[in-house]
Amino acid sequence: MTGIEITRRPARRSLLVSAVAGSVATTAAALGSPAGAMLCLAGIAVLVAGVATARHGLVDGGGLVAFLGVVFAATEGATAGPVVFGTAATVVAWDAGGNAVSLGRQLGNRVDSLRVEFLHAVAGAVVGLTTALVGLVLFRLGPTRQPVTTLFVLLLAAVLLVVALNR
Amino acid sequence: MSDGDRSDEPDGGDPESGRRPERSDGGADLEAAASGSDATASADESTAGESPESGAVSGGAATDVAAGRSAADEESEIDEGSAAGEAGATTVREMHLVSTNHWVGVATVSFLTAGLGVVLRSRPLFLAAVVGVGYLAYANATEAPEPSISVTRSVADPDPEPGDRVRVTVTVTNTGDEVLSDLRIVEQVPDAIAVVDGPARTATALRPGASVTFAYTVLARRGRFTFEGIDVIARNVSGSRERVLDLATAETTITCLPGLDATDTVPLQGLTSPYTGRVSTDSAGEGVEFASLREYHHGDALSRLDWNRYARDGELATMEFREERMATVVVLVELRRAAYLQVGEDGPHVADRSIDATRRLFNSLIATGDRVGVAALAPDDVWLAPGAGPTHQAEARRLLATHPALSPTPPSGRLYVPGYLKTLLSRLDDDAQIVFVSPVPDITSAYIARALHVRDHPVTVVSPDPTRTDTPGRTLAAAERSNRLASLRRAGIRVVDWEGDERLAEALERARRRWSA
Repeated sequence: MTGIEITRRPARRSLLVSAVAGSVATTAAALGSPAGAMLCLAGIAVLVAGVATARHGLVDGGGLVAFLGVVFAATEGATAGPVVFGTAATVVAWDAGGNAVSLGRQLGNRVDSLRVEFLHAVAGAVVGLTTALVGLVLFRLGPTRQPVTTLFVLLLAAVLLVVALNR
Repeated sequence: MSDGDRSDEPDGGDPESGRRPERSDGGADLEAAASGSDATASADESTAGESPESGAVSGGAATDVAAGRSAADEESEIDEGSAAGEAGATTVREMHLVSTNHWVGVATVSFLTAGLGVVLRSRPLFLAAVVGVGYLAYANATEAPEPSISVTRSVADPDPEPGDRVRVTVTVTNTGDEVLSDLRIVEQVPDAIAVVDGPARTATALRPGASVTFAYTVLARRGRFTFEGIDVIARNVSGSRERVLDLATAETTITCLPGLDATDTVPLQGLTSPYTGRVSTDSAGEGVEFASLREYHHGDALSRLDWNRYARDGELATMEFREERMATVVVLVELRRAAYLQVGEDGPHVADRSIDATRRLFNSLIATGDRVGVAALAPDDVWLAPGAGPTHQAEARRLLATHPALSPTPPSGRLYVPGYLKTLLSRLDDDAQIVFVSPVPDITSAYIARALHVRDHPVTVVSPDPTRTDTPGRTLAAAERSNRLASLRRAGIRVVDWEGDERLAEALERARRRWSA
């Protein structure tokens, strides 16, 4: 008559968000190059496996590989739209995966955490989509004469600002 | 019934998943009710009316409690009906703020991407880096919220029988004005009781005023258990920071008293009090069992004259019988740290068996009319002076079930044995005998038994056997214990060796046969 054990890994349903976001990323990469899509798919597979076994390392590694797939597609000549949305989808997949693993480790797989996970994923997706849209609009309407180096310096400044604000 | 269904399914969360969105909707209904929507309010009332008083089992009733509190004017009678004095206020015992390191690395990846974009003159890559910077800002923009929550806990049965399954329903309400976007709640179930169904934890998001209810089932066992806290982890929406809180809640107690079941008659030794009882003594007088004949003295009762002898040779003689007297017994249960032994990985705890045996012995001795007391060989003082009668029995029942020293967890302190013996001896009546319930885990137990025995308090050792013989080490431990028991027997102490799969009555009967032979 012993009590139930807590299985410290995410519930099966938690795989869903990562898998859906991951397939969006793969589709986006496929618009650029099939090889990039394959890389992306492999990364997502590792990521989902990481969620299933509650291993942060696998989730992070898989997310990075999936993103490399998107980057590869970009170098192969993918247009801005698929690359930007692919990036956002990859981040959402990785973010949702990491969140699911932390939930699984803290609460076990018998807790119904779908609501929290869904909320988290939606918030992440909204941020990604907004940034992507703003970026794209600026990309289309903005002064295209600027060399990329100038933009890079601006981006550097933005990052430093974000970091400095949080010190 | 739903318990059975749930435990059968490996994916046990399903029935709850169907309910949980309803609960959040319930929160929405609640707001509507507060703003005066008649339809919603009446629907709420009808639900509450259908739920029986003990309906906390369903989990729905507890939600109504929270609803009742917020919209108190509309459902005040429900509030009084089922809240039953449980204030929901919580106090923070411990809080710390930590970084989850969830977004660490995003900055690096964004930079590398941007750099690659510059090198390759690729604007799409550059835009991808912009997305990364957006996430970086998102991760750092918010801080983990400081949750202000109330917790209401109700148990289906605060006084269960041992082995009963008790449904515990917990309702957590966001009483602050911040949205708690990621709230992870872990109930602090008392150490000694097992959760047998439903996780005692949940994860949810709560708007101000909204509440979540979760329920789980524990298996009641002897003792008093207090639910008094809850662990909460509140994350910000991006999951970059989390606040870990240990909250003290209102106390909810389960008190589980075992029944009055006794064992067979306990064989006692010949030390007795002057009062009439059931232990046959060597002194002759009034009784049942024939002892001797003696010359008639003036004033002897006519019923005790040996009329056969008078008829034979005309001499008057008086028959004497063994006097049956009452015994004073102190049941001493060994609860030193060394006595907390477990049989195998999953077997019963031998301390639990000892306490159970103490209870049965006590009830049996009380039933046979002896004066019985209880003492525990434990760091904490446990002493119930010998007595008789129903009040005494009730007192002992409560003590054996709920005294903290008799809890199923081993004591932290150490016992100074000579000091304890001195105290015990000063408390014992001169005519008290000892029933020592102990697994005899080491030489100290044997020493205690002998020390009491030589000070004219005859000792009967009832020894639950915690040993096994499946490995050489365990066989050695079993042999050592058996040697200790043998040395006790040599010292004239009666020993009842109570094996693991044996009933106490059988062990006593086996020992009695050996002693009378």
